[in-house]
Amino acid sequence: MRFHKLLLIVILFLVSCSQKAPIYEHKDFIFGTIVDIKIYGETEEKSENISNLIFNDFKRLHNYLHPWEKSLISSMNNAIAAGSVFNVDDEEIIRIIQDNKNLASKSENYFNPAIGKLIALWGFHQELPNQMVPKAHQINELLANVTTMDDLKINQSTLSSANRNFQLDLGGYAKGYALDRAKKILANNGVANALVNIGGNIIAIGMHGDRSWIVGIQHPRKPSAIASIQLPPGWSIGTSGDYQRYFMDHDKRYSHLINPRTGFPADNSQSATIMIPPANNSGALSDAYSKPLFIAPEIEKLQLADKLGIDFFMVVLANGDILISSKMNESIQWLEQNNEKNITVH
Amino acid sequence: MSPYNGLNKIMKKILQYIKIIKLGDTFVIVTFMGLIFWSVSQSWNMPSGQYLKIENNQEDSKVFSLNQTVNKQVIGFLGSSEISIAEGKVRFVKSPCTKKYCIHHGWINKINQTIVCLPNQITISIVGDSESYDTVNY
Amino acid sequence: MTQSIIKPTKKDHTIAKLAAIAIVLSVIEFFLPSPIPGIKPGIANIIILYTLVRFDFSTAAWVSLVRVFVSSIIVGSFLSPTFFLSLFGAIVSLVLLYAVQKLPKPYFSIVSLSLIASFGHIVGQFIIARLWIIPHDSIFNLLPLFLISALIFGLFSAFVCNILLKHKLKKHTF
Repeated sequence: MRFHKLLLIVILFLVSCSQKAPIYEHKDFIFGTIVDIKIYGETEEKSENISNLIFNDFKRLHNYLHPWEKSLISSMNNAIAAGSVFNVDDEEIIRIIQDNKNLASKSENYFNPAIGKLIALWGFHQELPNQMVPKAHQINELLANVTTMDDLKINQSTLSSANRNFQLDLGGYAKGYALDRAKKILANNGVANALVNIGGNIIAIGMHGDRSWIVGIQHPRKPSAIASIQLPPGWSIGTSGDYQRYFMDHDKRYSHLINPRTGFPADNSQSATIMIPPANNSGALSDAYSKPLFIAPEIEKLQLADKLGIDFFMVVLANGDILISSKMNESIQWLEQNNEKNITVH
Repeated sequence: MSPYNGLNKIMKKILQYIKIIKLGDTFVIVTFMGLIFWSVSQSWNMPSGQYLKIENNQEDSKVFSLNQTVNKQVIGFLGSSEISIAEGKVRFVKSPCTKKYCIHHGWINKINQTIVCLPNQITISIVGDSESYDTVNY
Repeated sequence: MTQSIIKPTKKDHTIAKLAAIAIVLSVIEFFLPSPIPGIKPGIANIIILYTLVRFDFSTAAWVSLVRVFVSSIIVGSFLSPTFFLSLFGAIVSLVLLYAVQKLPKPYFSIVSLSLIASFGHIVGQFIIARLWIIPHDSIFNLLPLFLISALIFGLFSAFVCNILLKHKLKKHTF
């Protein structure tokens, strides 16, 4: 009799020790990259339903905003190249374009989605980059007739541009925008805790149980993370880096992050990481604003960060030295011994 | 008595013992051995880890990348131990303990492998990504 | 007013004598050096098995638990992690023995009982070690080693116990 009781106690003990916090995870391939959604603390059924909703919206955005595949944006680009106007009966695209105009002008056009032609010239309008450095005259032609978001005119529901070189490439914005969409869908469906990662651009909803979500930051030159940092509820993080979409030519690296002023890929940095506090468009900001920090010359980076109101940033410069904001430095957990690197705290 | 006789006696004794084993017993023995093989395969098939976790009873655990070449001092109960990280592996190089079991353990690099310096209260173990963070920003 | 006197029964005597032997074996084993910390032949287990077969389960359970408590007090590890390892190992071992003690005789012998008991010991110890002593999955790297020693010493204990059962320890009255 006593041992029946003992058996019961042992079993209860073992069962209680095996309770695990429920995380539902769904990965898929959209926007030409891996998208990973983690939902915490919901039933499997609800998590599956909501992540399907989100992935469906992402698929819609993929077909809507794709820079070079058949999409609403590429149709618009074709119309402009042909010199005609483009009618949209979609309020969402107007809002997106307004947002991009706004971000471009705030960032002194270092974030410039209007240079689609330049990006295509460098071979980055395909799944695998071209591996060829364009001729100088081709670059100069495009630079001579430089395009910015100001070239795109919105007249009620009509889009047009006098500059036939104008080509909209939302590659540096769409993922961030999708994060904001995901945030809305999660909120509308009563999911309080989730982590959405679209090709490395991440937004944190709520927490991971009783702790914040924690993200690792990819080392630009190694297969491991260089550091990890907490992403408090509502915060987003985005990185522009030269280590994913790039090609090598004669030992020189050419990445997809083109400097609109020089017409060449920016090469003063290996990566630029920013964190944006909770806001309606924090996702989009975390995507778009990492570009100026990456592309701008070293001497301009700090003042640009201040101007854009970015308190959390980290730039790994071309030689491996690190430029980091004091706020980011306080919370960051280095996973590497940083003896040889210079770390400048702003 | 020739050695042959002695050997015979031992053989008989062994046979006596083996006679005790019945059909059901062999089933238990075989199951047991199966468990042993299973546990061995689990340990051997662990992938190499990217990160090292250092725990000492004084502070919170710290995680470091194995993708670097560096020597680190870790302060423990008895004093400072030195570990060496290189080429995706880690080992103890110096330690204030007496028996130096931790140093004799050599290099580790597979997830879940661990070296403990009990006297100095330091544990170094290989961990996978999930220990350090929930997802990666890139 | 009558004072109640605790009168030891015959069973109590049996338990005490057997436990005493088990304790002695346990203490001797404690002082024997082993190359790998934690791997012990578990010779006290022989007594537990003997008790189980010769008497009944409850007697064996008492002997086992008394052995764990008293030997840890003697050796000075009472309430230390070692004690809890030992205790939990003994408990799981007993639970399993309770379950299998009625195994059909023609097919199973003391060998099975011994192997299952030593397996139970290992499992119990690993659970406690994983929860409280080394809260890492890395501890499971030691499992193969411990399982192999459990197999070997389990067989050894079975054979020795078998000899004891045959001779019924003629010198003593049990």
